[in-house]
Amino acid sequence: MSHHCKEVLEQAYLYLDGEGLTAVQRIEIEAHLEDCGPCLESYGVEKEVVTVIIARLRGSTPCPDSLKERISSALEDA
Amino acid sequence: MPDVSPVDLSAADKERFQADALPLLDSLYAGALRMTRNPADAEDLVQETMMRAYRSFERFEEGTNLKAWLFRIMTNAYINTYRKKQREPLKVSQDELAEFDLYRELKEHDPAWDATPENIVLSNLVDSDIIEAIDDLPEQFRMAVVLSDIEGFSYAEMAEIMDVPLGTVMSRLHRGRKALQKRLWEVARDRGIVKGPPKS
Repeated sequence: MSHHCKEVLEQAYLYLDGEGLTAVQRIEIEAHLEDCGPCLESYGVEKEVVTVIIARLRGSTPCPDSLKERISSALEDA
Repeated sequence: MPDVSPVDLSAADKERFQADALPLLDSLYAGALRMTRNPADAEDLVQETMMRAYRSFERFEEGTNLKAWLFRIMTNAYINTYRKKQREPLKVSQDELAEFDLYRELKEHDPAWDATPENIVLSNLVDSDIIEAIDDLPEQFRMAVVLSDIEGFSYAEMAEIMDVPLGTVMSRLHRGRKALQKRLWEVARDRGIVKGPPKS
């Protein structure tokens, strides 16, 4: 693993979350992932973990209606 | 029950709170459930959060992020009230977290493994496996993963909610996700979904 690979993988989450990187850094990462099979696969695994959590858990446990009603009426009385 | 003392909000503010905050109850409840890991405590925490927020609503700056503001209140309420009666979160050593790399682990134990969507480990796990893995994370890491991946907050919003510097947010999220990978891999290994050494 080259020094550059290590650097790219360290920034994988920043890249994934679209945070904390300059446009130039993002382009460099994209170029590296395009050229480097192992980094692309490794990045793919990181991405998959996050994607699965988002897909499975975001919005999967709505607030119970009974609690919504309780809060609404508590607000009315407050 | 939370203290519900009369609140001196204008009629317009009352209406605004109800119109803007009530639609966020689903998000708050989802966050509360992963913080407390228990539906009864989650309900109490959400109700307490809403009452505290209502009482201090005149301090909320209109035009700023209401969801982040509510989560900040909820995080404080959780830390001050609920955490005390919770079981200790699983301890994960820093070394263990730094070392783990799901991709490397998969390749090492099964060189033929290929990161294609059809055989990705995670699609073979059920939702409850993933929830259990999140619930087992040390608290600070769990918070970071929940705020980012379940609630969709930005790093800057998370820094505000958890009241820590941006660098701390990034490090907790990074470590939390790594620890989560490790737990998920262990579950997958125990189910025979991936190859690996027997459970130690």
